[in-house]
Amino acid sequence: MTAEEKMTTTTTQTAEETAARAVDNILTIRKLRTWFFTDLGISRALNGVDLDVPRGKVLGIVGESGCGKSVTSLSILRLVPRPGRIVSGEILLHRRRKAPDGTITEETIDLTKLHPQSPEMRAIRGAEIAMIFQEPMTSLNPCYTIGNQIMEAILLHQDVSKREAWELAGDMLEKVGMPNPRQVLLRYPHELSGGMRQRAMIAMALSCEPSILIADEPTTALDVTTEAQILDLMRDLQADIGMTIIYITHNLGVIAQMCDEVAVMYLGRVVERASVEDLFYNPRHPYTKALLDSIPHVGSRTKRRLASIRGVVPDPYATISGCPFHPRCDAYMPGKCDQLVPAPANVAPNHMVRCYLYSDEGEVENGG
Amino acid sequence: MAAETTQDNLLLDVKDLKKYFPIRSGLLRRVTGAVKAVDGVSFFIRDGETLGLVGESGCGKTTTGRTILRLLDPTGGTIRFKDPKLGWVDIDKMSREEMKAVRPNMQIIFQDPFSSLDPRMTVERIVSEPLVINKVASGQELKDRVADLLRRVGMRPEYMSRYPHAFSGGQRQRIGIARALALNPKLIVCDEPVSALDVSIQAQVLNLLEDLQEELKLTYLFIAHDLSVVEHISDRVAVMYVGHIVEMADTEALYYSPKHPYTEALMAAVPKPDPRRRERPIKLPGEVASPANPPSGCYFHPRCRYAKEICSKVMPELQEIEPDHFVACHFARELKLRGVVV
Repeated sequence: MTAEEKMTTTTTQTAEETAARAVDNILTIRKLRTWFFTDLGISRALNGVDLDVPRGKVLGIVGESGCGKSVTSLSILRLVPRPGRIVSGEILLHRRRKAPDGTITEETIDLTKLHPQSPEMRAIRGAEIAMIFQEPMTSLNPCYTIGNQIMEAILLHQDVSKREAWELAGDMLEKVGMPNPRQVLLRYPHELSGGMRQRAMIAMALSCEPSILIADEPTTALDVTTEAQILDLMRDLQADIGMTIIYITHNLGVIAQMCDEVAVMYLGRVVERASVEDLFYNPRHPYTKALLDSIPHVGSRTKRRLASIRGVVPDPYATISGCPFHPRCDAYMPGKCDQLVPAPANVAPNHMVRCYLYSDEGEVENGG
Repeated sequence: MAAETTQDNLLLDVKDLKKYFPIRSGLLRRVTGAVKAVDGVSFFIRDGETLGLVGESGCGKTTTGRTILRLLDPTGGTIRFKDPKLGWVDIDKMSREEMKAVRPNMQIIFQDPFSSLDPRMTVERIVSEPLVINKVASGQELKDRVADLLRRVGMRPEYMSRYPHAFSGGQRQRIGIARALALNPKLIVCDEPVSALDVSIQAQVLNLLEDLQEELKLTYLFIAHDLSVVEHISDRVAVMYVGHIVEMADTEALYYSPKHPYTEALMAAVPKPDPRRRERPIKLPGEVASPANPPSGCYFHPRCRYAKEICSKVMPELQEIEPDHFVACHFARELKLRGVVV
């Protein structure tokens, strides 16, 4: 059980381990706690997130509203709004740089150590890690043309002239399959449809060739046929450019179609992480199982009754002892599940689950 | 020929329903055009069944639902409803006063449980309002009725004195359902009742709607854009595209052997929750046509991969090409289309 022990160790890791992990992972998140200090109390949006993001793959993060999936992405970009802040933990970006002579150097940066407004962080945002949001209307500036906004992103991070940036912006729009890309450069966001706006957002995000793209529910506001177009586009671009995508959604259908690996989040923790195949065909955590059973499938034919998870996601101010899912869980073991948070256990290679059904080990919370 | 009423056991019969919204422009706000949100829609609902109404945003499905209830006044067409007491009534011709007699039998559940409940009213007042207005009950009897309704939708009657903000999305939707049930309606228009809810809560509400239908012999017009939810709950499904119904059939027939190219594309576009079945969706070029400025002929022809010359000239009628399977396509009989692959 060496692998399991490795997972349960605290933040202190040997240099070799970090190096070994850095080979495959572009981002390593350890024990990340992002809390919001509100007048009503402390909302523990992220309460110990551990996550490895493999390089060049699509990692899906799935969960219900309030599970912390969006706060995870905001923490990575250091854009957590007040009164929230990162309380503890680390976010390690393993950045690869290609020197002119062809040698690749790698450096590891802890994003939590950087100041959100520091020049280093601002250089990483957009150039290294880019993000597309759910609502393309609210994330584009209504007062500037599409061309202006993409150009701004390019000029910030690349050493090119305005004319070149404008050309690049047009090329980017062409790449994302925008009809009449040169004309769209001159349009304002309100003149475009939802699908076109989302294409423009993707073009802007990709304009500086980031190594990580965070997509936070990019197709939720779109119609199914438009959604299918955008998913298709993102798959093509990913295969083309080979970038890493962190895809955040509550739609399990999209996860199955888009992702290589999946992390399931519940109340600020990753409760299960596996390859997309394992997650859908061999889910282990009771929450994952319940989630999969509760969605109606197109083509299931049988009019079976939907399994529902009883109760609701507890409000974020509540502190639940032990496994946060135990009040809603069918496999709840009194005296066990309500004591300590279950430690992560590897049930198969590359399949982690936090549940006492698979491991007896609990985790003493520190820093809480 | 539009859907003929040769069907028996009908509860609602809608023929050639139209709802246009005027476009005004210029200083004098003259009417310069119209958004044809619903443009000649015909369908029927049988007593006790669930008819799903699907389509992409802007196709007119919500407008159809609201016009049927006369929350919007139709521009043209007929809406006939079989009231349990009054018999067949023409909803489209009734005055506001006359509608009051029919309203108890036709109710609606709204999409957004956050804006459809008055934040300044307690749950008790929200649920009892229809009972008070229609003078069904008062005093202790009223309170008992409300408690009973809340129990029926799976909520504790003790919560009656709380305000909507104290409840989660799923619970609010239950309150909305309790309000719709208060007057024992026959028909409930469910306008995207679960699309604002989380997946686990969505299942709870869908199960509740199914249980209530069985218990109370309700008839639903279920408006949604999520095709898997509609398949789960509906007996029959109608597909709308830019103000028209393009296909209407039994759920099974529509999902597994669609006859309209748009239905085929919709089915293919749903992301299947199965990583072993990664299919490339059928490419639908372009965007949904604008109801203010629709294309000529069949509205779908600019995006249709089977379109021929006639499609750009003549608008196809909704025809019954198989028993209970209505399609509006010139080539519905010839095309071999692919439904959901299992």
